[in-house]
Amino acid sequence: MAESVTLSPVHSRSIGDLAVIYAGDYLNKLSGERIERECRRQLEAGCRALVINFRETELVNSIGVSILLGVIDAVETTGARLIFSDVNQQTVQLFEMLGLTRHVALAKDEQEALATLAEFAPIPKAVGH
Amino acid sequence: MPTKQPNKNGGPILGRIAPDEFVGRRDALARVVGLASNGTPERGLLLLGAPSVGVSELLRQAYDELFREQGETIPIYFALTRNDQTAVNAARHFLQTFLLQLVAFRRQDALLTDASLSIPDLLELAAPVDYEWVEHLVEMTERARADEDARSFIRLCLSAPQRATASGARPFILLDGLELAEQLNGVDVPLGTEITRAMMHSGGPYVLAGLRRHLLDVIHTARNGNDSAASIRLDRLTDEDSRTMVEHLARRNGVTLNDQTRDLIVQQTSGNPFYLTSIIRAAREKNIALTSFRNCQQLYVDELLGGRISRHFASILEEVAPLSAVRRSLIRVLYESAENEQGRAPIETWRKRLNLEAGQLQTIIRKLHVYELASLNANFIEAGSGSLVWSDYLRARYRLEVEATPRALVVADMLAETLKRAPHTMARHYRREAALGLRELLERFNCQRMPASLFHYDRFSRTHKGMEADELVAALDAETDLVRLPQIVHAASCAAFHPPIQQVCDDERCAVAHGFDAGQYSDANEIVWLVAEIESKLEAGRGVTEIWCDRLMQVARFCGFNRVRLWLVAPEGFSIDASELLNEREVYGSSRQQLELLTARINEASAAMARQEVAPDEFEMVIPMGDDTELIAAHTVEQIARRISFQPDAINQIKTALIEACINATEHSLSPDRKIYQRFRVESDRLVVTVSSRGIIPPGLNNQNGVNNNGSEAGESNKGRRGWGLKLIRSLMDEVEFEHVDDGTRLRMTKYLKKQL
Repeated sequence: MAESVTLSPVHSRSIGDLAVIYAGDYLNKLSGERIERECRRQLEAGCRALVINFRETELVNSIGVSILLGVIDAVETTGARLIFSDVNQQTVQLFEMLGLTRHVALAKDEQEALATLAEFAPIPKAVGH
Repeated sequence: MPTKQPNKNGGPILGRIAPDEFVGRRDALARVVGLASNGTPERGLLLLGAPSVGVSELLRQAYDELFREQGETIPIYFALTRNDQTAVNAARHFLQTFLLQLVAFRRQDALLTDASLSIPDLLELAAPVDYEWVEHLVEMTERARADEDARSFIRLCLSAPQRATASGARPFILLDGLELAEQLNGVDVPLGTEITRAMMHSGGPYVLAGLRRHLLDVIHTARNGNDSAASIRLDRLTDEDSRTMVEHLARRNGVTLNDQTRDLIVQQTSGNPFYLTSIIRAAREKNIALTSFRNCQQLYVDELLGGRISRHFASILEEVAPLSAVRRSLIRVLYESAENEQGRAPIETWRKRLNLEAGQLQTIIRKLHVYELASLNANFIEAGSGSLVWSDYLRARYRLEVEATPRALVVADMLAETLKRAPHTMARHYRREAALGLRELLERFNCQRMPASLFHYDRFSRTHKGMEADELVAALDAETDLVRLPQIVHAASCAAFHPPIQQVCDDERCAVAHGFDAGQYSDANEIVWLVAEIESKLEAGRGVTEIWCDRLMQVARFCGFNRVRLWLVAPEGFSIDASELLNEREVYGSSRQQLELLTARINEASAAMARQEVAPDEFEMVIPMGDDTELIAAHTVEQIARRISFQPDAINQIKTALIEACINATEHSLSPDRKIYQRFRVESDRLVVTVSSRGIIPPGLNNQNGVNNNGSEAGESNKGRRGWGLKLIRSLMDEVEFEHVDDGTRLRMTKYLKKQL
């Protein structure tokens, strides 16, 4: 599977026209904006589906959530798809509380997220395979 | 008759009564005596007294205590008197008193304080340590006197404390009767100002005492407005202290009295020590047993017309208006002004009726004001002092001098009147004792949240009536409909705002309280509560309730109050009809039981607040704003929460709530110090986290108080995507409340170990 790691402070990887973006341990204004920037960058680069992986995320604040909403808007505008994966229970509660879960799908882990996305648009095989 | 026997073993020295008979002023006495201590930061103290409330005796008691202590501080008590007649005499008297009491103290001989010794005599008796400066001072004063240099003489005499201090002594001047200083002028030196400056420059502790309305002016002049001395205000004695005082006085003077007459005397004189003493002494001198109202009132009328009380007021009136013709006119104007409905008249009316030049009128009014026989408010003079004794005296003088009524008739009428009045005076006292204390209760309103049923009799009656006490408390605890009380900043009797209300109710049964909703000082939050206690043996009916609603609204209109909250209290509550009316008019209505429950809950809230302030299991933390410092706070609260065994999900909720609170503080406060102050209080069943910051209050925050600002959820407009912090906090914690602080905000969040059902 071909993947590229960006030089952005946000860790991400691309798999064809799909990208996985890894959130940090604390999702606040600054880290949220970095994620948002990376998402927009991926979308502009032609990415059709995004997974934001929260496996490292211990705490999320309301500003971080509001930025995620901006990401959801941006993804919807481009007709791409978005899934949040590896969200811990407390963050799920927070997302539910703020109505975020009505607008984005959650996956247990990254694998499940990728599988879900594959159902709708098969992931292209990596070049060279 | 027992008299004072100067000694250093506890008996009075300058005091007129034994220390154990000195009632009601323990705190003030301790404060005065405490000034003698070297470690006290205060050096000067102003003792501001209403007329005849016992300021002099307080100073004398302080003198005695300090004398008996024989510590480093040498007490010197001096009282200005009219007998000195001139400033020069007063200054010489001061020096003689100073030296006499210095010698007495050095020799530990209390009897010397009463000795009649000249200044040369005292120089001979001066201790070696004092001799040099005393001799030098005496020589200089003699020289100034020989040169007829009054100003120098006065200043030299008054410099005694400063010179004593400079030589290593520590005199403590207790200076009394400062209001008399201006009558003693005779040279171009204002004596009051000179005395005040001399005390302030003495280098030692001092107390300046006098009539409260005069003393502050003198001090202000002496210091050019640079006031730094602390002050104590002495008001009337409480009823209980007054009763004790009368009992002591009667015992000491061998006068018989009973509980009824004791209470009548106290009520009639408002517990004024001078009047009480005058009456008991008169009883002793005339050998009258105060065992009946008749005897009491006979003695009282005698005192008004020819006793000490009469002489006391006569001397004040002579001082205020030395010319008899003017005095007579003054009595007429005073009496007639006091009798009119508002109890006040424009200055211009007084000027015309007294036919005086503006300057003369000003002097008279000022003196009346100082003696609190009238009050000057803007261009109006309010006659009367609220003292029944003064009113009675004034009426007697008016009838004798203005109406020229025969004295015998005045005496007979006054006696009949006071006898007829006695039961009413006592009834009023009993009513006052039984009153619910509305004003005091209102004064304690400070943004507490109280069950709404306590303000709605119909609801309370429907849901809580007949419950056992424990059950009732639990039901009130469980109520979710809460009324947030305003923060009251001023509460007074309704009559103080609208005197005619006195015709329909006692002062203490109707109150007006100014405050602010949520403790926020803004026009929108300003509110006035008007509260009345209705007399009704049964549930108050619609008629009387309507009358009181109208009355209170009339007061509100008369006073120009904008936002008001009316609250009626009837001992047994309100009938169904009356309750409907209250609801229609959005007027609160409570029974005595509800009021008692409310009082108890407010007491409990205050006690809880006091406990919080001294809570031992409390952590405090200050973090700078920004740079993700809220994470430090979150990790700290995690550690604390773990100590009391919160479950992991609850810990995460607390952490998130705290992070949101920190973000709110950072984003909204424009904090000048950029700091967030946090307190974590651990209780057996909960963790209370308080987050505060200085700066501005976010708009609408206090009206929401814990409810989110916009109530929006994700998916709504972009504008709605911020401001979720409070909503989150409220969802994550069990109790969330903004507490009132003068600057900035303070958010209190509580999480229970097991959430309350």
